[in-house]
Amino acid sequence: MEALGHLLQGFAAALTPGYLLYAFVGCMLGTLIGVLPGLGPAAGTAILIPLTFSLDATGAIIMLCAIYYGAMYGGTITSVLINVPGEAASVVTCIDGHQMAKQGRAGSALGIAAIGSFVGGTLATVALVAVAMPLASLALKFGPAEFFALMVAGLCLVVGLAGNNMLAALLMTVIGLLFAMIGVDPVRGAPRFTFGVEELYDGIGFVPVVMGLFGVAELLLAAEKRQTHMVEAELKSWMPTGAECRQSVGAIGRGTVVGFVLGLIPGVGAIVPTFMAYVLEKRVSKTPERFGKGAIEGVASAETANNAYANASMVPLLALGIPSSPTIAVLMGAFIVNGITPGPFLFKEQPALVWTVIASFFVGNALLLILNLPLVGLWAKLLKIPFSYMCAGVLIFCVIGAYGLKQSLFDVWVMLGFGILGYLLRKLDFPIAPAILALILGPMMEKSLRTTLEISGGSFAIFLDRPVALALLAIPVIVIAFLLFKPRSLAPLRESDIE
Amino acid sequence: MLIRRRTLLAATAATAVAGPALAQNYPRRAVQLIVAFPAGGSTDVGARILAAAAEKDLGQTITVVNKAGAGGQIGFTEVARARPDGYTLGFLNLPGVNTIMLDPERKAAFNVDSFIPIINQVLDPGLIWVKGDSPYKTLADLTEAARKAPGKISACTTGILSDDHLAILMVQEAAKCEFRIVHFDGGAQQITGVLGGHVDCAFDNVGGVFKRVQSGEVRGLAVTDVERSKFLPNVPCTKELGMPTVISSSTRGVGAPKGTSADVVKVIETAFLKAIKSPEMLQKMDAVGLALKPMVGAEYAKYYADTQAQAKKYTEWALKQR
Repeated sequence: MEALGHLLQGFAAALTPGYLLYAFVGCMLGTLIGVLPGLGPAAGTAILIPLTFSLDATGAIIMLCAIYYGAMYGGTITSVLINVPGEAASVVTCIDGHQMAKQGRAGSALGIAAIGSFVGGTLATVALVAVAMPLASLALKFGPAEFFALMVAGLCLVVGLAGNNMLAALLMTVIGLLFAMIGVDPVRGAPRFTFGVEELYDGIGFVPVVMGLFGVAELLLAAEKRQTHMVEAELKSWMPTGAECRQSVGAIGRGTVVGFVLGLIPGVGAIVPTFMAYVLEKRVSKTPERFGKGAIEGVASAETANNAYANASMVPLLALGIPSSPTIAVLMGAFIVNGITPGPFLFKEQPALVWTVIASFFVGNALLLILNLPLVGLWAKLLKIPFSYMCAGVLIFCVIGAYGLKQSLFDVWVMLGFGILGYLLRKLDFPIAPAILALILGPMMEKSLRTTLEISGGSFAIFLDRPVALALLAIPVIVIAFLLFKPRSLAPLRESDIE
Repeated sequence: MLIRRRTLLAATAATAVAGPALAQNYPRRAVQLIVAFPAGGSTDVGARILAAAAEKDLGQTITVVNKAGAGGQIGFTEVARARPDGYTLGFLNLPGVNTIMLDPERKAAFNVDSFIPIINQVLDPGLIWVKGDSPYKTLADLTEAARKAPGKISACTTGILSDDHLAILMVQEAAKCEFRIVHFDGGAQQITGVLGGHVDCAFDNVGGVFKRVQSGEVRGLAVTDVERSKFLPNVPCTKELGMPTVISSSTRGVGAPKGTSADVVKVIETAFLKAIKSPEMLQKMDAVGLALKPMVGAEYAKYYADTQAQAKKYTEWALKQR
């Protein structure tokens, strides 16, 4: 139990007033970054790196990590209140979170998100301490072939569980995949469907798309109904009730596991775990029809997975020096600038620093909970603002967010265009989530498939040689087989699944 | 859209400075330095250190603006189209800027004459590396294996038409062998790919992997340069291994749009050169494993032209293969 001893020393250091202050400031800044749409954790962390130059290395890292998971939580607030994901990983939270707000349960949604984030983050850190090294080297075996299989399985689960709405879900998935094809071909390097527009070379920006599909579309729908407030229901709760907490226990547990496991695999990104946790929750629920209509488990699972992922993704970074997402890459840059190179030698060379940082993860997650629970009421009060002001405010917020991402006006047009598309789709009752998931998974799926084939020299037999990939690919086959035979057990899974 | 934006820009600029920017009244306001890659990347880190240091001598704020996207094409285009008044400068990443303009399918809005190369900052040479316990102990072992079994030994790049991709083609040509080329997206994927045993070797740059080589986790086979890297004194360079045509690196320097007056260029060159030669710059760049290589005037112009010529040869070769 050498690790435990190190950890205790780490706690002693992390709890000194100075480091505590850095973690606190980091959480505050991070929450703010998460609230501002477009300014996701990656950009936010990058912008704030110079701020840490004047701190000592440990302090700087503690603060940057706090900014990171603070931002992962902050995105929730706007998702629930105004249906605008403050950062990409909060997309799933919009689905049930905003519905809850509409029923006057914004307080419950934000409260359970804070609790779920805390539990997910803390448990993932415990797991990090216990198994960082062995699991990290296992994750290396996860090559492009396994990655592709995982992406296919994820996409099929979402579509396959759409029940009677399957045709619509399938259609939306295909539309998402089509949009995902736009951009420079990942292997040949030639532009596709870009019509000579350079802004399209990197594909359609994900954040402007979701801000349009969710936020702008929501405004259009609300404007049409001549609402006086963004959310018309009376605010009923400030905190989740006991019953709501009991309902969420399972979701939080499962969300932690999903988030942690996927966080170990480099390149998965924060959105996939939230989707997977959500779909899993709906699958195990006895009342799946409540999902999409304000099920608290939906919020709890996604938010827990989100923060469990954020903490677990530190495993590949600390143990192997592999940044598993753009945000972590920025963090790694900050580590290096501060004279610390993450990797297997880090635990040996600078144990005091590593364990202080890990201990600060615990401290930071606790701070985040303390910071956010009292603020829930304050945030929820924002819904009292009359719709005419709120509408203009949200739109300005979205435009600035879309523009700020790459300082590109083009992204603003993309957002507005997808806002109109989202409005039409909502009117026609088409589910939006499958399109969003396809848009995020499409490029990863394509790249990993083509890399796999580059490695194998063009032979598909490589999938048969790799047991993990084969097992993952079996999941969609089983799902489809189930659907074809339609056993009784799947009967309750009707209607809108993810919408 | 574009015309409107440019008129607006022109109007703003006209109110800010009247008349052409002459050296005696340059710079009068903040200078923006466009980086064609995202904040936090190694170009960005270097640019921010440079901007902070050069500000003092320039006497004006230098703002680093990240215009990332399309492998740098968005940012390079922005620099090429900017008013040549010295208030918009850009980081030129070679050979990235060259391969983009050389690929006809990318329809780049700039060509080799669109930029005035002012001063180079970093030259990060290529590094060919394998796993620490790999059977390939030397570059000759690796090329020998790739010659005996053509297309069986996999070598990964950090992206299509990156300097690493060109380096693989150079090695293939010099050693008359054939690799199975796998395009990854950046250095992190290479680490996963090689350490996980999915690919045999990787072509990257010294800055990204030197710590791992120092710790023995991975083995550096060769630095693709005319001399050894100061960060890896035990790894031979390609020139001493008898492959003088395998010279590849990622270099980054500051350039201005075509038409910027020579006086203004001189002011920028002086301020930036002083910054690059400062001890603080050396210390900060050493920490991240990036070798400084200040080049100005005719030397940098020649380097820019030579890189273009070299990139042309291998880009055409790469394009033929796709």
